[in-house]
Amino acid sequence: MPEEKDKTKDECFECKKKRESARWREDFPVDWESDNYVTRREMVKFLALGSLTIAGANAVVAGIPHVVKASEMPRTRITLASAIPVGGSKLFSYPTEEDPCILIRQHNGDLVAYSQVCTHLSCAVIHNQQENALFCPCHHGYFTVEEGRPYAGPPTRPLPRIRLEQQGNEIFAIGVEV
Amino acid sequence: MSSRQSQGTILFTALLALIGIGVVVQLWLLATSVDALLRHEIRTPVHAAIGSAIVFVINGLLVLYVFNFDRKIKQR
Repeated sequence: MPEEKDKTKDECFECKKKRESARWREDFPVDWESDNYVTRREMVKFLALGSLTIAGANAVVAGIPHVVKASEMPRTRITLASAIPVGGSKLFSYPTEEDPCILIRQHNGDLVAYSQVCTHLSCAVIHNQQENALFCPCHHGYFTVEEGRPYAGPPTRPLPRIRLEQQGNEIFAIGVEV
Repeated sequence: MSSRQSQGTILFTALLALIGIGVVVQLWLLATSVDALLRHEIRTPVHAAIGSAIVFVINGLLVLYVFNFDRKIKQR
């Protein structure tokens, strides 16, 4: 008798398992074969949608610098104009404390400012007064003081220029030109 | 399969491959664009976006062509 009882118990367990399995299939009626099957038509639609998404992402990336440039560039006081002698320079940070920049008074008296981060491998450039150039000591890259263009060494892109504004005797940084 | 249908299948597969190549080119443009953005370059992402839009238009035209061709075959 106990053996029969066990057998019935086992059968019931199997029935229950089958019933649960069937319920599971009802909840998720996915046929394995048709799940893996993708037609050419579906693939073309998928690729066209992907193409649209990527074009949209590209437009967003292209728009980011214009939006950020217009809204987020702060106006930061650098120093007094009289504090920089002809041929002299001063280090400052702009637009954030983590962006080192350099302000230089040229021989004609004009002030220019550039990002201090070399466009080759991000070393800090320094003002070489004897050669009237911005010099990167890491790989001997040279940039002109007038325009920040590279003219010797490995850098190929110019230094980002900081836009300046003078109010009375005070110099302010108002933007970055790349 | 009639010759028209087999021609359609070949055309569909070829255009599918072309559209796939277009999407890969767009992915490359997107990667370049993000790279330029991180280097604070403004012009490159704009050019890349224009290129990507052109590729998308070409892809769209190819898809329309292929679906029109498909519809014509089905009507026959």
